[in-house]
Amino acid sequence: MSARRRFGMLALALLPFVLAVVAIGGVLFLRQGGFAPYRVPHDGSRVVAGGAAMIARGETLAHIGNCAACHTTRGGVPFAGGRAFTTGYGTIYSTNLTPDVQHGLGDWSVEEFAHTMRNGVGRHGVLYPVFPYAHFALLSDADLDALYAYLRSVPASAIARPPNRLTFPASWRPALIAWRMLYYRPAATPSPASTPLDRGRYLVDGLGHCAMCHSTRGKRGSLPPQGYLAGGIIPGIGWYAPPLDSRQLQRYTVEQLADYLRSGTSAAGTAYGPMAEVVYSSLRGISDEDASAIATYLKQVPPHPLRAPSVMAPNTQPAQDSSTSINGADVYKDSCADCHGADGEGKDGKYPPLRDAVAVTAPDPINAVRMILYGGMPPTTAGNPRPHTMPPYVQQLTSAEIAAVVNYLRQTWGARDSQLTGVDIEAMHGIVID
Amino acid sequence: MSNRLHRILAIAFLLYGVGAAADDDLEERLAACAVCHGKHGEGASGSEYYPHLAGKPAGYLLEQLQGFRDGRRINAQMTWLVQFVDDAYLREIAQYYAAQPPRTRAADTGASELTEARRAIAEKLVEHGDPQRDVPACSECHGKALTGLEPGVPALVGLPAEYIIAQFGNWREGIRRGAAPDCMHDVANKIAPEDIRAIATWLSQRPNADAQRPAPAGSFVPPKACGSLPHAERRP
Repeated sequence: MSARRRFGMLALALLPFVLAVVAIGGVLFLRQGGFAPYRVPHDGSRVVAGGAAMIARGETLAHIGNCAACHTTRGGVPFAGGRAFTTGYGTIYSTNLTPDVQHGLGDWSVEEFAHTMRNGVGRHGVLYPVFPYAHFALLSDADLDALYAYLRSVPASAIARPPNRLTFPASWRPALIAWRMLYYRPAATPSPASTPLDRGRYLVDGLGHCAMCHSTRGKRGSLPPQGYLAGGIIPGIGWYAPPLDSRQLQRYTVEQLADYLRSGTSAAGTAYGPMAEVVYSSLRGISDEDASAIATYLKQVPPHPLRAPSVMAPNTQPAQDSSTSINGADVYKDSCADCHGADGEGKDGKYPPLRDAVAVTAPDPINAVRMILYGGMPPTTAGNPRPHTMPPYVQQLTSAEIAAVVNYLRQTWGARDSQLTGVDIEAMHGIVID
Repeated sequence: MSNRLHRILAIAFLLYGVGAAADDDLEERLAACAVCHGKHGEGASGSEYYPHLAGKPAGYLLEQLQGFRDGRRINAQMTWLVQFVDDAYLREIAQYYAAQPPRTRAADTGASELTEARRAIAEKLVEHGDPQRDVPACSECHGKALTGLEPGVPALVGLPAEYIIAQFGNWREGIRRGAAPDCMHDVANKIAPEDIRAIATWLSQRPNADAQRPAPAGSFVPPKACGSLPHAERRP
């Protein structure tokens, strides 16, 4: 048998495998949207009327979508980008959305803007999924036009964003096509929002992109449908975001939840950490109707499969932990009970209850530990213009005392088998701000 | 006593009561601040770092709070606390601490650090500055008693030495930024590090015996144009 024939036989034998790989790849490629997302319209010419009413509508939408929060540095020029996002693959900086031609969206047509918002592919290639394009794919044409008109109206700023600092292969944008083939499935365009429930879904899944923090993440930062609003650790900043579903939110009526969204506080809890930012930079300014629509929708979301089992306060006292000489109940009585109440019931609307609080029922203790270490000040809102504050205890309690009191809180009111030690607390030290 | 006087006294008493109630209320709300700065902003006794707030000009305190929120001053704990607080509440907080009795005692740390050599350097720079390097005397802007000037210049007495040294470092590095023109950035870059330590140590031992408040706005004109001094003479 000649070498040539032998090669031919080998090729014939491998052919089914090659065909299978091509077929699977082809199917995955089709499922992430085929070629359409990569056809970025470069010659759009449709004119969007930039009247005052249109711009005002776009401003309201940008506010609900909280565009400025990600696309502005601390104290920086609004929408000029540059805020750093830490991921498992390195640091990504947000882009400049102002009308500057060189650094911003100055020469973008509305067609290119809408295409990039919905498909996550723009003139510079595939976008990293820190940009919530899977959510913005749901936006209506009219809303995208209004957002475009508004962004054209803000002052241009010639600020270049710092280059991303990513490891290979994430640093190579075409690798994102493989990520999309594995994890990205374009959603169907929703029907127009006619009822408050539809409006709520549109705001939560579309502009509000709540699932970016409140879902359980899958592999490589993906958002599998089974983890939809099922709660999880927020990538990069480490806070735990609770599930947003009928079980988690049973403590609230629709009215109470809507009021919490706008005021940042409620009889059941007060916004802290990243939610304090969302309230401060977005939700405190949304309309009553939109807040009610969001609450109406969230309260009927069924718990999804990846959700950690929920726990609520049991009626029995937990056994004392014998591994440490520090009694968490004593620490609680000395340092916490004055404000949060002997039974974790909170006080007078000034201090939130701890019974059933996310920080004590969550599968992860990080929120409770951070609040105790560094304290907090709720966001100022029309409904809570002069918030009461939580003192930092990092210098007042030892790590072992903090471990003991967190264990006590989570065992007593969270039914969590919490066995933290001082070493665990020290590993959670560190203020996360950017 | 006339009826009128009675009425005035009654109103004054009422206003005093309202004021005191508002103070108690804010004292409770600001429990987070008290841990490091004291219940009334008097500072934490024996603290190696935390500055007092009591009696500093409200305009100065507001500018600092906004600075922590907006990234013009860097302190992770401060930014963590004030980052989602609007100007209205920050102004109220600033006014609360500004209205408290000024701290009177010297910072009670680092007395042994004040050598005779350092005392001589500090007294020269505080009283006379360094004209050759265009460094004004501290007292020319912060007042003869170093108790500050309304509305934007803080007292320099009663602060821990390490705090003062850290601020000079931050001004030099540009991570503490005042409203432009940022005169302390300019001044800090003209003073040698060893002289900064001398000034800071000397200031930390200096009592403010008369519990003096900052000098009234416009009572004297500092030589340098500073963004925090809207009434100051601006030099081109």
